[in-house]
Amino acid sequence: MEFKGLVACRAGVGSSLMLKIKVNQVISEHKLPIKIEHGSLDSVSGFNGQFIITLSDVAKELEGKKLPQKIVGINNIMNKEEILTKLNAFLAEVK
Amino acid sequence: MSLTSEELVRLNIEAKDWEDAIRQAADALLQNGKIKASYIDAIIKTVKETGPYIVITKHVALPHARSEAGALESAIGIATLKEPVVFGNKENDPVKYLFCLSAKDSESHINALAELTGLLDRKDFYEFLDQAKDASEVIKYIKNL
Repeated sequence: MEFKGLVACRAGVGSSLMLKIKVNQVISEHKLPIKIEHGSLDSVSGFNGQFIITLSDVAKELEGKKLPQKIVGINNIMNKEEILTKLNAFLAEVK
Repeated sequence: MSLTSEELVRLNIEAKDWEDAIRQAADALLQNGKIKASYIDAIIKTVKETGPYIVITKHVALPHARSEAGALESAIGIATLKEPVVFGNKENDPVKYLFCLSAKDSESHINALAELTGLLDRKDFYEFLDQAKDASEVIKYIKNL
């Protein structure tokens, strides 16, 4: 099964784009069964995938909203180890 | 990085706190017609209301706001601080490098942002910025990569 994730940030033009680049690198390097979309926080409500990946302070805010998706928060966008660990934790949880 | 240029580089800014650092770094974009003053206010306001979401990796901030806040042309500024300042992001503080981003739409800056992401992966880029003397040197370095 392939999972769908949304990379989101407040504006949808900066940090989330960078995060998307790094997340896609990790996904292709490790052949993870994940497809990534990208948008601002406004796109969260219309998103029908399984998880949302964003910066950790935005993640905290989203966790309070009781969304159906799992929220994955990243502290350091450039840290591929952190991204991989957290994506694997998500996959382990939903499998 | 086609969206940056010598006029958008500010080295060794003396900033008294995070807000001052953002204002001074973004001033390069303001002076060159890339953003309206309202864009800087929007960045500061969002950080105050919701936290330092613009600090993206160790010692690096990407100050930016929504296009509607006053982005006139897509651009990326490069700024370094003489002394790093605390932004309140405990993983990645203190911040020494600021890349102020203006995105006038959701497309035109994507390639430049991808290039910047590549630069941020290079330890030698930060080392270069630490010893760079002037803006022309910085632009030359980026173009020659």
